Amino acid sequence: MTTLRERTADRALAVTTASTTRPGNRTLLRLGRASLLVRRRSVFVAVGLLVVLFAAMVLSLSLGTPYVAPVDVLRSLSGAGTPYDLVVLDLRLPRIVLAVVAGAAFGIAGTLIQSVSRNALASPDIIGITQGAGLAATIALTTGVAAALVAPAALAGGLFAAAALLALGSKHGLAAQRFVLAGVAVAMALRALTEVVLLSADPIDGMRAQIWLVGTLAGKGWTEATYIAITLVVLLPVLLWAGWALNSSALDDDTARGLGLRPTARRVGLATTGVLAAASVTAQVGAVDFVALVAPQVARRLVRAERPPLVCAALVGAVLVVLADLAGRRLFAPTQLPAGVLTAAIGGPYLIFLLVRGRRRAA
Amino acid sequence: MTTVAVQSAGLETSPPRRDRRRLAVAVGALALLGLAVLASFAIGSKPLSPAQVWHALVAADGSEASIIIWELRMPRTAIGLVVGAALAVSGVLLQALTRNPLAEPRIMGISAGASLGVVVAIAVFGVGTLAGYVWFGIAGALVAGLLVFGIANRTRDGANPVTLALVGVAMDASFGAIVVALLSIDARTFEEYRFWVVGGIAGRDATVAAQVVPFALVGLMLAAVAARGLDALALGDDVARGLGHRVGLVRLSGGAAAVLLIGAGVAAAGPIAFVGLAVPHLARALVGTDHRWTLLVSGLLGPVLLLAADIIGRLIAPPGEIPAGIVTALIGAPLLVIMVRRARVVTS
Repeated sequence: MTTLRERTADRALAVTTASTTRPGNRTLLRLGRASLLVRRRSVFVAVGLLVVLFAAMVLSLSLGTPYVAPVDVLRSLSGAGTPYDLVVLDLRLPRIVLAVVAGAAFGIAGTLIQSVSRNALASPDIIGITQGAGLAATIALTTGVAAALVAPAALAGGLFAAAALLALGSKHGLAAQRFVLAGVAVAMALRALTEVVLLSADPIDGMRAQIWLVGTLAGKGWTEATYIAITLVVLLPVLLWAGWALNSSALDDDTARGLGLRPTARRVGLATTGVLAAASVTAQVGAVDFVALVAPQVARRLVRAERPPLVCAALVGAVLVVLADLAGRRLFAPTQLPAGVLTAAIGGPYLIFLLVRGRRRAA
Repeated sequence: MTTVAVQSAGLETSPPRRDRRRLAVAVGALALLGLAVLASFAIGSKPLSPAQVWHALVAADGSEASIIIWELRMPRTAIGLVVGAALAVSGVLLQALTRNPLAEPRIMGISAGASLGVVVAIAVFGVGTLAGYVWFGIAGALVAGLLVFGIANRTRDGANPVTLALVGVAMDASFGAIVVALLSIDARTFEEYRFWVVGGIAGRDATVAAQVVPFALVGLMLAAVAARGLDALALGDDVARGLGHRVGLVRLSGGAAAVLLIGAGVAAAGPIAFVGLAVPHLARALVGTDHRWTLLVSGLLGPVLLLAADIIGRLIAPPGEIPAGIVTALIGAPLLVIMVRRARVVTS
C-alpha cells in the first residue's frame, strides 16, 4: 500500500502525455487511475478556438461608442488602469462574459442532447426544450412568483418539455427525423401556449415577460453569468463523466451492458444534464436560437470526429454568441438587434445545409 | 410513397351511392359553415341572441347590437371566410403537388415568405395599403415556395415528407428572424406592422376581405381547373401523361393557385398555421381522394375551423383576446405529432 502522499505525487507525475497508444493520432492522458484518450487534433482545435474566442472578446470590448483601441482594452483587462476602465470593465465586460458563458452552455447542451439521441438535428431550441423553459418562466413572471423562483421554474419547464417529447415523439426512436419533427410540433404548441399566457396576463407583467423571452444580452451581465456558471459547475461532475461516457456511447447497448456499463442510466443522465444546461441559459438570456444546434456540428467538423466533442463545442458556442451579440450591437447601430435574431437568421440556412448534406450521405 | 391519394383517385368507378354520400358531406359542411358564421356574429364579450343578430343584419339601425355586428364582428367573419378557405385549399394543393401529407403553407415556410414579402413592402418600398401588401405577399410566397422545392429536391429524396417539413421549418425560422430584424430597425415599419398583427383576423377593416377576395377567387378557380389533373398526378407522372393530362400544366396551375391563395391569406391575416394541414386530411377522411370533392369540402371546412378558432380565442382569456392563429397552433400541433407518429405517413 502506498501512502496518500505518495499517491498524490504519483498522480502529479502521471499527468504527462504517454506515447501514442492507438492509431489515429490519439494521446493518452493519465491522472492516477483516471485516464483520458485525447485526439491530438481536438487539442489543437481547442487551443485555436480559445485564441479566436479571445480575439472576438477583445473585438467586442473595443467596438462601440466610444471606440476603445484593442491595446487599451488589453491594458484595461490586465489591470493597468486606463481612462477606458469604466467602459471596458464595467459596461462591456459583464455582457461579453455572459455571452461566453451562455454560448458555452448552449454548446454543451446541444452536444449532450445530440449525442444521446444520435441525431444531429435534435437541439434543445428545435425540439421544444427551450420553449418549455420559456413557457414555465413566463407563467412564473406573469403570476407574480418571487423573482428567485423564475429560474427554477424554467429548469422544471425544460425537463417537463423533454419528458413530454419522449412520451410523444420517441415511438420510432430518437435518431429518426420524425422525432425532430414531433419536437418541432411540441415547440410550436409550447410557444403558442406562451403567447396565450402573455396575452392573458396583466399588460405590465406581459411586457416584462416578453422582454425576458427575447434572446438578448442587452442590460444583462454578472448576475446572469454567475447563475449559468453555477449551474455548469454543479453539472461539472456529470460533464467530466460525460467526456468518457460520450465515447462509450458509440458502443451498441448490448456490448455496453456486456462491459458492465449501464447504457440507459448513462443516457438519462446525459440527457437530463443537457436539458438542465439549456434551460438554465434560457432562464437567463432567453432563446438564442440555433447555437445549440450549430456549435456541436461545427466543432465536429473542425475536429473531424464522428461525435461532437464537448469542449470544442462549448468553445464554438461561446464564439458564436459573442459574435452574434457584437453583430447585433453594431450592425444597425444605434438600433440593437437581439443576439437571438441573428443566430436564427443564420441558423436556418445551416439547418438546411445539414439536411441536404445528411440525406446525400445517407443516400 | 405517401398515402395522399393512391387508393382511389382518378380511376375509380364512382357508384351513385358514393356520390350521394359526398353530396351529403358537402351540404353538411355548408350547414356547418352557416352555423359558424352565425356563432361568429353572436358570440363574444357581449353575447347576442340569434334574433338580435338577424335584426341587426336586416336593419342596421345604429343600435348597440347592429354596431357590434357591422363594425366589429362582420369584418373578422368575412376575413375568416376568405382566409380559412384560401389556406385550406392551398393545403390540399400543396399536399397533392408534393405528394406529401405534411405539406402546409406555414410548415413549409411559404407563409413566412409571404409575411417577409409584406414586411419588405412596408420597410423597403413604403407600401401602406393592403392592396399593395397582397402583391408582395404573393411574391414572397412564390420565392419561398420555389426555394423550399429547390432545396428539398437537392436532398435527393425530396419526396421524403419529413425532410421537406424540416426544410420548411428552417425557412420559417430564418424568415421570421429577418422579419423581426426589419421591425426592430425601423420604428415606422413596426407601427404599420402592428396593425397587421401576426396570425389574427380581429381588428381589421371590412375592406381587407374585399381587397383579397379577387386574388382568392382566381386562386380557387385555378384550383378547380387543376382538380382532375391533381387526381391523375397522384398516380405518378407517367400514368398521368398516359391518361392524357399535361403534367407540367397541372403543376403550374396548381402551384400558381397555391401561391395566390397563400399570398392573399397571409396578407390579410398573417401566417396562420395548421388550417392547411388539418382541413385537407379531414376532408379526405370524409369524401375520399377525388380532388374535386376534397377541394370543395376543404374550402367549406377551412373557414369553419378558422372561425371556430377565432371564437375560442375571444372566450378563453377574458377580458383579452387570443388571435386565431395561436388557437389553430394549439389545436394543430397535437395533430402534427399524431401524423408524425403514424408510421405509414412517413418514409424516413
